[in-house]
Amino acid sequence: MSERDDKDLRETGNPEEKRGIDRRDILQGMATLPVLGLFGYAVHKQVSYEDAQIAQKLGTAQASNLREVKVALLGAGAQGQVLLDAMLKIPNLRIQAVCDIWTDFNLKRVINTLKKYKFDPHPYEDYQEMLDKEKDIEAVVIATPDFWHAPHTVACLRAGKHVYCEKEMSNTLEGARSMVLAARETGKLLQIGHQRRSNPRYKYCYNRLIKEAKLLGRIVTVNGQWNRAVQPDLGYPKRYQIPADKLKKYGFKSMEQFRNWRWYKGLGGGPIVDLGSHQIDIYNWFLEANPVAVVASGGNDYYSPETREWYDTAMVVYEYETPEGKARAFYQTQTTNSSLGYFERFMGDQGTLVISESDANYANAIYREVTAPAWDEWVQKGYVTAPKVVEVKEEKSAVLDVRESVSPDEHKIPVEFADLYHRPHLMNFVNSVRGLEKLNCPAEIGYESAVTVLKVNEAIQAGRRLEFRPEEFEVS
Amino acid sequence: MLEQRYTHLQMIALVVMRVLIGWHFLYEGVAKLLKPNWSAAGYLKAAKGPMAGTFKWMADSPELLDWVNLLNMWGLFLIGLFLILGLLTRYAAIGGALMVLLYYAANPPFIGYFSSVATEGSYLLVNKNLVEIGALFVIAVTYSGRYVGLDRIFYRLFHRRKRTVSEQELTGATV
Ligand SMILES: NC(=O)c1ccc[n+]([C@@H]2O[C@H](COP(=O)([O-])OP(=O)(O)OC[C@H]3O[C@@H](n4cnc5c(N)ncnc54)[C@H](O)[C@@H]3O)[C@@H](O)[C@H]2O)c1
Repeated sequence: MSERDDKDLRETGNPEEKRGIDRRDILQGMATLPVLGLFGYAVHKQVSYEDAQIAQKLGTAQASNLREVKVALLGAGAQGQVLLDAMLKIPNLRIQAVCDIWTDFNLKRVINTLKKYKFDPHPYEDYQEMLDKEKDIEAVVIATPDFWHAPHTVACLRAGKHVYCEKEMSNTLEGARSMVLAARETGKLLQIGHQRRSNPRYKYCYNRLIKEAKLLGRIVTVNGQWNRAVQPDLGYPKRYQIPADKLKKYGFKSMEQFRNWRWYKGLGGGPIVDLGSHQIDIYNWFLEANPVAVVASGGNDYYSPETREWYDTAMVVYEYETPEGKARAFYQTQTTNSSLGYFERFMGDQGTLVISESDANYANAIYREVTAPAWDEWVQKGYVTAPKVVEVKEEKSAVLDVRESVSPDEHKIPVEFADLYHRPHLMNFVNSVRGLEKLNCPAEIGYESAVTVLKVNEAIQAGRRLEFRPEEFEVS
Repeated sequence: MLEQRYTHLQMIALVVMRVLIGWHFLYEGVAKLLKPNWSAAGYLKAAKGPMAGTFKWMADSPELLDWVNLLNMWGLFLIGLFLILGLLTRYAAIGGALMVLLYYAANPPFIGYFSSVATEGSYLLVNKNLVEIGALFVIAVTYSGRYVGLDRIFYRLFHRRKRTVSEQELTGATV
């Protein structure tokens, strides 16, 4: 039918005559379709732009000549997801299998994510089956609950895989010891997930500011904290509930316990182990020593010990004999108020370093004591930024109160860290598998850190000062 | 039969507005769908105003959050698509207005409420969300989908008996 016929029809308005849709209807009906084409083109441009930005920031674009490494992820929970996000930004890493017992939920979610990234990983519920079948996997990244770390790690090492295992290395020292021994026997790599050990900012502070420029002088005291706001117990979608017998098989009493394992004795270690282990590990690193004694106070001050068996609040003092002399280090974690978040502060007779993994916690600055030699040389060399200029207030009296010191100069640490927190540490692991680097946190260091941290719960229970024997930190 | 009388320019203006809003929705949806594991949890938890409690409650129940996330992503995507295409235009516009109303309620620029989320302008009761709701209201009560949009074709297909409706009867546009 022609357009003219249609017009004629309209004009005559003859209702008898049945006609199809005319050309004008088709044209006007679909006139906005090209907008979708334009939209698709714009989205495509935008996505490639974002990808290029990320690749540039992470330097992944150039590194493509590295050998491909095939890995599996064991434990696809919250942290498994975080590690996965970081792994997706590591060049030439093939994620070939994923194992998790929460098959309908976490496992499925991660497999779907990976498919979006054009991986086709094999899903497993049982890690033994995965190890039996996946012969050409070189390494396993483990992010299961703490009490599973030892059995999982040992099995993977014995199956000939290199292992990246999340902190805390284990919830027991026997577990941690078996991991060190298995790594030694098999000659495979075992990296523990204290990711600050690979963080460029932490490395810079230790290597450049503390060791080389010695800006802190002798470190005498340390304090640090991880404060968290009140949080309800973790829940789960009811339709993804795991049957009771399956939970039991994997060591959990209930869904509630399965979700909140970190609060239960025998499964996790509570906040001091969960949060503290990251930062107390840095104490040992920067002080170049393991502690000689610990006193600690803590308890179930706020939450019901029915659902939160471990201490919700802990305050700890370690004593150190460092190569430079005695030092004391305070650490606190509470789960009832988040003020000032998390950071570590190292105080020497010449300066103070406040450092945090996060940029949000008022940290990442270094302060010069007024009595210390000038830092102009280090500012000129770019080791620290020029001091913050503070307006001098009109003095009330010309003489400074003898009880007060002039406040120290604030300098910023010139290390931007825009990367995902875990990527450098995973990268260090993968490159060690390739034989290009050495592990930043091998099993032995993870073990020393576990000994240091697990003692806190013991000290709280004992209610008195506990000493460390130097042999305690060694595995033989 | 429609009583309205619009010039073609007025109809085109409505279509342009509809497509622009559709584009906005569509990209909001696509951007979320492209982000692996996007979740509204952070946004809900940061809610302010009289409805804040309800939004926080949504964020705290994993069951509900799942649905909220799905509805959000796909709702934005489909409404955007339909607005651009002029398909089921009225329903898309009403659905869109309801969604934006929720966003408005989560961070209302009421007197005495302070948002810790940065906003790029100055607002008193009315913000861009509310303006978009107003625009969607206009879309919902006019017939731009029957002027330029798939609704035109569907209307023709499903109202065979009214084969001869004039342009004005169809869309309100004067021929
Ligand atoms: N480095 C860090 O910053 C950091 C941060 C958070 C957690 N972590 C560590 O990561 C680990 C996991 O913590 P999360 O928060 O992801 O816990 P989670 O409960 O969210 O996830 C644990 C996952 O392991 C699975 N799982 C449990 N037992 C299993 C088994 N026997 N075999 C296979 N899968 C099993 C569970 O189904 C779940 O998906 C812990 O060791 C924790 O200390 C590290």
